[in-house]
Order: sequence, then structure tokens, then C-alpha cells
Amino acid sequence: MPSPDRHDELGVFFRRLPLALVAAVAVWLAVRTAYNPALCWTAQALTRLYENPPASRVILDGDGALLGRSDLRANSGWLRISLTQVSFNLVPLLALLFALPHPFRRGRWSRLLQAFIILSGTHVLTVVWHLKFLQATGMGAWSQANFSNLAREAYGMLQYFFDIPVTFALPLLLWVAAYPDDVFSLLGFDERR
Amino acid sequence: MLALRPVNDRLVNPYTTFVAHESRLMLNLFGERATVTGQSLSSPRFAVTIYNGCNGLEAILIFISGVVAFPAPWQRKLIGAVAGFLAIQVFNVVRVVSLFYTGVYVPQWFGVSHIFVWQSLVIIFGVALWLLWVRRYALPRPAR
Repeated sequence: MPSPDRHDELGVFFRRLPLALVAAVAVWLAVRTAYNPALCWTAQALTRLYENPPASRVILDGDGALLGRSDLRANSGWLRISLTQVSFNLVPLLALLFALPHPFRRGRWSRLLQAFIILSGTHVLTVVWHLKFLQATGMGAWSQANFSNLAREAYGMLQYFFDIPVTFALPLLLWVAAYPDDVFSLLGFDERR
Repeated sequence: MLALRPVNDRLVNPYTTFVAHESRLMLNLFGERATVTGQSLSSPRFAVTIYNGCNGLEAILIFISGVVAFPAPWQRKLIGAVAGFLAIQVFNVVRVVSLFYTGVYVPQWFGVSHIFVWQSLVIIFGVALWLLWVRRYALPRPAR
């Protein structure tokens, strides 16, 4: 049953949300100058793990990334994606975390770090699936020769899955998973009683 | 499911067109002469195209998933799902109209506003709505 004496906890959370959102945007703006190059490097390294020769390229281009292959003509088969679109969901995750009571209490940093690592992992995979989908469908005869129809369907599905459901739903899931006691308390349940 | 072509063609695209028409009605209330072609909303001053991910459908589905998964009586779930659907619809129309005027008056801010202000707000709005539903409506009130 909801705890009647904690009725205003949700109100406090809502009042903190706007400021938490501003703080989250500030953090995101501060980290993205280092985050975007790391994202490109990791996505390229991961894609090249199973390639022979390793020719996939993920090149940082402003706030986006150019995806392609180094063994094809320089002016063919390149795609630019927005890295802001890939990693913006860090903002709602941080905002939801910052709006909880005592977000930086002892022991919470490790949970925040774990949530950040999982979300970053999905950012890397999002870039990888964009690159693989491009290679499977957007490079003409080379795509036809090197990828099956099943692979094209699979990469298309993975790209969509990471672009939309994962991007929008994962911050919420990580928020609940990282701080379950606080979220259940917000809902009116207090497991410690 | 939304990624499947038949679902996309028969549900997602018509729904997105519906959102475009709702936004057109709102813009015309403000004196714009907006028209809709497919999923594009245009006026003599600016134009936006509403793609998958910008139609509010994902936020609605995440909200409804949360409502369905929560252990509450089914009548309360039904009321929550319908009310949440309508609230997120309204919020999304405000988002489209706001982005339209951002494009008209401060186009250099359109990208930032589109990607990380409004997309973040949509996620947070869905979560806040779900918390509110759980706390205030989903469960019976405690006896005093």
C-alpha cells in the first residue's frame, strides 16, 4: 500500500526535475567533446574485430560521424549520422537520477557509473548497426556480393531497435534498475518497512 | 512490431499524418496558413517533416507498457492508458508547434531543440505521467 506520510515525495521530485534537467544538459555538453571521439573509436574498433581486411571507418565529423569503408572509392558509400541523436538519452537518464533525493550519497556513484556504461554500450552498438546496415544495403554491388538478404533484414531490424525502442526506453529502465529503493519509494512503496 | 512494414504502413504512417494534421490545426489557430502533405507540415514561413520517433508513438507505447505491467485493477489501467495517450498526444502537438516556431524565429536552435531538449522532455514527461498515475490513481488510497 502507498505510504501516506510520504505523499509529498513525488511533489518534491517533480519540483526538482526542471533543475535536474538543466544540470543534465550541462553535464552532457561538458562530456560530449571527449565522449564523441571515444564513441567513434570504439564503434570502429568493434566493427573491425571481425573484418578481414579491417576497412570499416567511423570518422568524427563535427557533432556527427561519417561512416564508410576505406577500401572503396573515397566518394562513394559514405553516410553521416548525428551523434547527438545517438547519445542524447544520457540527458533524461541523468535528469531522472539528479531529481531523486540525495543523488550523490555514498555508494551511489558506482550505480551511476554502471548505468552510464550500459547506456554508452548501446550508443556504440547504435553506431555499429548504422554502419553495418549501410554496408549491407547502401554500397551497391559490393553490398549485394557480401551480405545475404537475411543479414540485410537483421541489420535493418537492429538499427531500428537501437534507434528507437532502446533509445527511448533504456533511460527509464536504467533509472529503475540503478535506484530501485528510491523509485519504489516515489511510487509509494517502502521496502525498508 | 512498429518496424514491420505492414504495421508501419497501416498504423504508424497514418498516425503520423494524424499528428501532422493536429499540429496544422493548432498552427492555424495562431494565424499560420499551414498545410499538410503526407507527414510534412508547411507554411510560407517554415516547414517540418514528422518522422518515426517524432510522432510521440514510442513515448505512448512505453507509457502504456508501464501501465499494463503495473499490478492495478484493469479498469484503472484502461483509464490510465487512455488518459496517458491523450496527454502525450497533446504534449507532442505542443512539441511540434514549438519546433515550428523555433524554426521560424531561431532556426540556429532548431537542431538542439529538436534532438535533445524535446526528445528528453518527451521521455521525462512519459515517466512523470506514469509516476503520477501509479501514485494517485493506480492503487487504492490508504485508509485514514
